[in-house]
Amino acid sequence: MINLDPAMLNRVIKPARYTGNEWNSIKKDHDKVAVTVALSLPDVYEVGMSNLGLKILYQILNNRVDTAAERVYAPWVDMEAEMRERNIPLYTLESLKPVKEFDIVGFSLQYEMSYSNVLNMLDLAGIPLFTAERDEHMPIIIGGGPCTFNAEPVADFFDCLVLGEGEEVMEDIIAAVSSWKKAGKINGRSGILRSLAQIGGVYVPSLYDVTYHEDGTVAKVLPNCPEAPLVVTKRVVKDLNTVEYATRPIVPFLDIVHDRIMLELFRGCTRGCRFCQAGVLYRPVRERRPELLLKMAKEMVDSTGYNEISLTSLSSADYSCLPDLVDSLMGELKEQGVSVSLPSLRIDSFSIDLAQKVQQVRKSGLTFAPEAGSQRMRDVINKGVTQKNLEDAVSAAFQAGWSTVKLYFMMGLPTETDEDVLGIADLAYKVLDLYKEIKGRKGAKVTVSVSCFVPKPHTPFQWFGQDLASEFERKQQLLKARLRDRNITFNWHDARTSFLEGAFARGDRRLGQVLLKAWQNGARFDGWSEYFKYDVWMDAFNTCEIDPYFYATRHRDFDEVMPWDHLSSGASKSFLQREYEQAVTEELTCDCRREHCSACGVCPGLGVEVLDWGSRA
Amino acid sequence: MAKLRLEITKGEEIRYISHLDYASAMERAIIRAKLPVAYSEGFNPHMKLSFASALAVGVTSQAEYIDIECKEEIDINQAVERLKAVLPMGIRIKGAAYMQGNVSALMAIVNLATYEITVPLLAEDIGIIEDSIRWFNNAESVLYTRESPKGKKEMEIKQYMAKPIAITVLEKAVRLILEIRITPTGSIKPGEVLGALVAMFDLPIDIDNLLIHRTGLYISNAGRQVSPVEL
Ligand code: SF4
Repeated sequence: MINLDPAMLNRVIKPARYTGNEWNSIKKDHDKVAVTVALSLPDVYEVGMSNLGLKILYQILNNRVDTAAERVYAPWVDMEAEMRERNIPLYTLESLKPVKEFDIVGFSLQYEMSYSNVLNMLDLAGIPLFTAERDEHMPIIIGGGPCTFNAEPVADFFDCLVLGEGEEVMEDIIAAVSSWKKAGKINGRSGILRSLAQIGGVYVPSLYDVTYHEDGTVAKVLPNCPEAPLVVTKRVVKDLNTVEYATRPIVPFLDIVHDRIMLELFRGCTRGCRFCQAGVLYRPVRERRPELLLKMAKEMVDSTGYNEISLTSLSSADYSCLPDLVDSLMGELKEQGVSVSLPSLRIDSFSIDLAQKVQQVRKSGLTFAPEAGSQRMRDVINKGVTQKNLEDAVSAAFQAGWSTVKLYFMMGLPTETDEDVLGIADLAYKVLDLYKEIKGRKGAKVTVSVSCFVPKPHTPFQWFGQDLASEFERKQQLLKARLRDRNITFNWHDARTSFLEGAFARGDRRLGQVLLKAWQNGARFDGWSEYFKYDVWMDAFNTCEIDPYFYATRHRDFDEVMPWDHLSSGASKSFLQREYEQAVTEELTCDCRREHCSACGVCPGLGVEVLDWGSRA
Repeated sequence: MAKLRLEITKGEEIRYISHLDYASAMERAIIRAKLPVAYSEGFNPHMKLSFASALAVGVTSQAEYIDIECKEEIDINQAVERLKAVLPMGIRIKGAAYMQGNVSALMAIVNLATYEITVPLLAEDIGIIEDSIRWFNNAESVLYTRESPKGKKEMEIKQYMAKPIAITVLEKAVRLILEIRITPTGSIKPGEVLGALVAMFDLPIDIDNLLIHRTGLYISNAGRQVSPVEL
């Protein structure tokens, strides 16, 4: 057990990030379990504690008598300095034991900008950074989360990466590690890696060799041993009604990012927005039954004492039984002072009615994501939202008494022209006008947030070259000049952060050196603007003689081998290509949830099906 | 309506949580225990709870007080048992009573806090320590500058000292007993008293490693001290 000095904890901000003992946290005797797991998200406590996947895994793993699962997050920069000064290794919040003593360390990789924190945490833990440098006494370092579908830039640092949903595969992994340990860690490190490689959805990067063409593109990614499959395909839970859920989540003392009950209505979203990676990775749509959701919600209120339930999903308003579910939740839990909230709104009046129902207070404004300003652009990205949908939704919101509206957009989408960019401004002004029409006076406030589009692997736009940072900046200025109304607030993302994200999102293994160099030169918490050090990253690219533009802004041909072609979400490359071609010709693709199948390949390929209670009623 | 007053602790396990965190931990425990707590009216109803005094990050306590406004008066033992079963580590219930009639707010009646502070020594010589404490105790007035994000403020410490500081020298550490007045116009924090002892009275302690523990909160009147649950 690590001894935590009061002097250290007295000095850092929010010391409760580092001391555990939260309600529902579970402490087990390590001598009485076969496998110990440290679950992590490489960001600060408040972010890591808000991740639903880790909450679920924590419960599933701790339900096993043979396993102890604990938590560890990235110490904030002040705590890191204190720990380094005192030689305190990275430790878990439950047992305060060094992470290095665990059998497995699992990192949830949610965004590329957290990679430098992974290296930093391994280093703080005293674990060798490279998989090749670790022997059988070191923990097995596992990555999960959306980034694993192309975690090639961190491939050299991870022992294995898990593709897809973790509920079932984690149990397979525990079983494999437990029997390997029982057999006296037979065949050492390579023994366990080879046995893990045989589990569906588990990718062991060191068992693959990558070769490159002269022009720098990938030639082949091939397994170097018989245990490793040619293609690793994601794991997917067939029926969410039959798997364990995080019904006893840890209740933190500190305010965290999502400090409420997360009730996951369904997984997957097949609206088919062509920029969206989650839409591809989590196919198909699988809903939980409303009766089960109600039961889960009550259990969670009892087990946590939270007074707010957030209906979490990629697009919660699409849940087939939503109005009934909301009614029964509110009816049954009102007595206990519990409120219901919807994290995302669909752009239609149905959503406004619901928002009105659940929101007793007009606290914050309403948030919509039209994603693009012009109808043409929205057709390109297959965002099935028309100008009329938007006007109806906003009008309904104003009629219901809201006056503040937040609108989310992207710039830098394929085929974008300046006219499309300026369409964002037109839309913002339209919203102000609508308010005047409805209320007969001024008074609406509109916030326009525009991010820089980052093409992601496994999406129809995976071939598309990202805009140059200078181009993003030009478009931002263009828009800024047009948005000169004091009732409009304009926020935009830093183009340089998006550029780096773009390079890593579609990077290959050679970027591992860049990451190492940047981390050595001080990069961490890159997702936090106050710590993002662009120059450190550019220097690292320079030193390694690697061109970031090759990864971020280059257009790829359809026949180029992608660094992630051996990692499958189940959606076929031909489907993605078809979608890209239809994007360019501004053709729409329907939602397979309630309309016909668009043959992405996931259902037949993975032996799963769409579960939507609305469509079969 | 019934007002349930509890005497609770903030233990070592949760030393580093803030007062706000502590309050919401109690709120959530009350929901888990399904106590018939009352809520305020209005758009954003909140639980009717009130505390005697805020406890800073890094400070533990064996005597915190909370008033819980209840819609009905359920059996007190049952209420305590139900709550006990769902309290996080570090919070224990030490006393409970329903307050009868129109009682004034805890915050308004508590006027004395006692602390036990343990801190490592930087010098072996007990004489130096005793001298330093004696100077402080004998001083007419001690001025201390409180620095906060709002700016600097000059404070006179001695007006808040209800009694002279008592000390016990332990092995490599010293324990100080402080009794501090809480007045309608303000009070001094125990950490600030130690800060003054180091800066102005040369107390040789490792102030960074200070451990503060609140031992009591009282209503002190004409020499008589009672705790809020003894009212
Ligand atoms: S295979 Fe068809 S039904 Fe299944 S997710 Fe893909 S498009 Fe939808």
